[in-house]
Amino acid sequence: LRRIELWKQRLVGFLFSPESDNWLALLRFGLGLQVVLYCLSIRTDWTYLLAGNGGLISRNLSETILALQSPLIPRLGWIVALGGHFGLGEESVLSIVWYCLVAAGCFLLLGLFSRSAAIATWLLHLAALKSADLLSYGMDNLTTIGLFYLMLSPLPDRLSLDWQWRKSRPKHRDLLGFWRRVLQTHVCLIYFFSGIAKCFGLGWWNGTNLWRALSRPPFDLISAETLVRFKHFLPITGIAVWVLEIGYPFFIWHRTLRRPWLIAILLMHVGVGVTMGMYLFASIMIVLNLAAFGPGILWHQRQPADDGSAPAESLAPSPNN
Amino acid sequence: LRHKSFYLAFFAAHFFFVGVVSCRELFWFLPKSRTIFPQRFNSYWEEAEDLSSSVLLQNPGAPATLRESVTTYVHLAGIESGYGFFAPNVPGTCKLVFELHYPDGRTESRVPAVSSHASGLRVATLLDKIGRPQYDSLREVIIKMLASAVWREHSDATMIRAVFGVVMLPTAEEFEHGVRESNQFLYSYDFAFQPPGSKQPNP
Repeated sequence: LRRIELWKQRLVGFLFSPESDNWLALLRFGLGLQVVLYCLSIRTDWTYLLAGNGGLISRNLSETILALQSPLIPRLGWIVALGGHFGLGEESVLSIVWYCLVAAGCFLLLGLFSRSAAIATWLLHLAALKSADLLSYGMDNLTTIGLFYLMLSPLPDRLSLDWQWRKSRPKHRDLLGFWRRVLQTHVCLIYFFSGIAKCFGLGWWNGTNLWRALSRPPFDLISAETLVRFKHFLPITGIAVWVLEIGYPFFIWHRTLRRPWLIAILLMHVGVGVTMGMYLFASIMIVLNLAAFGPGILWHQRQPADDGSAPAESLAPSPNN
Repeated sequence: LRHKSFYLAFFAAHFFFVGVVSCRELFWFLPKSRTIFPQRFNSYWEEAEDLSSSVLLQNPGAPATLRESVTTYVHLAGIESGYGFFAPNVPGTCKLVFELHYPDGRTESRVPAVSSHASGLRVATLLDKIGRPQYDSLREVIIKMLASAVWREHSDATMIRAVFGVVMLPTAEEFEHGVRESNQFLYSYDFAFQPPGSKQPNP
């Protein structure tokens, strides 16, 4: 029993360690930028992809499948129906949703009405994502994960306009450490499962999968003629990818290896963005990594005084404490 | 302390779901892919997938309210799917081509079109999804919707033949020896449309 009690104390110490809000400022700013870029990237096709009738595929199909799983998952159909009560057509409602999502993202960027902006961004993004579930991919879920944690974290942070201008203060600053641990744990699990799944695939040992990933449309930004010149590097690069991913949850906590490991992972995502054109996927992974582990690994952070008025001299605890 | 216990319980439950969902996806993929494990393990992976689904209350025998509660939570938190990006293996790219037939005998080819690279990635994701076996029942419905979208741009066409297949990519060695990508035919569907002014479209 004493052993269990000891473990519990260590777990509580790990989860509720004192923490500055630098990571939260990064997460807020990064997710705000991510959502704005997401909206801009599909601006011209927004209505076409999300229409109930007259679009690429009917939104109603995704929403029907969703309703069979659970009637409580947010979807755009609710907002369209609400707009209908006010005499607004579907196209108008979808446009309003787009503008609201961009506005909520900008509010997040600035840190103005941070909590409300985080909730609105999470809800609208989730509704759009679920209503176009057949057209969604990993990047969308990763954005939802980030927004979910952001919404629950103790906002606002010191760099937000809420703090600087509106003099608003979070109620539970003591939970900053807890929510950062949640984000860190999740990022570790993402890499662990992604790495394990790749390690089990034969093609990630002999370079075949890397060749296929880089040469299959629509990710074939590098011509196969160029790629084939580097064919001898493909097996080692393929193995390096899953070793980096599986090693992440272990070495990111190691005092000397955490910095090179994080930099290597960030470079991997930059590489994915540049060579495969998956810019939004790369950017959300970079945002999640920087928020989870950047402060304390890539740069030192100072622990702010409780009221945030002046920084104390001591360094904030590093992620491996 | 109660305050901390609440957050500890949340942490445990939340990451329990993350872990089980990730394992379930992994166990689903393993019997369907070429992996480092021998094929005789496939039955174990399938059993493990069933077990993971049961733990997540996704089996038909689970109480509906609990099942819907778990499903709602994992969707709200964005944790309803795993993280096997491009794993265990990278599949071939699915391709959909529409052959438009006009009353005067002309034919022309079209692919589902969107106006940005980001939207193009989403359409490619959709095509890859409907190429999977679990979309067998929905494939024709979705292709019919895509054909209707093309017909709205070419409403004088009276018939659209949708040809769905997979782009087979050569390996790096095959590519060096002159082998190039080829298309493997999978499904074909014919949809008839009424010319504008006569009747509603009848895909």
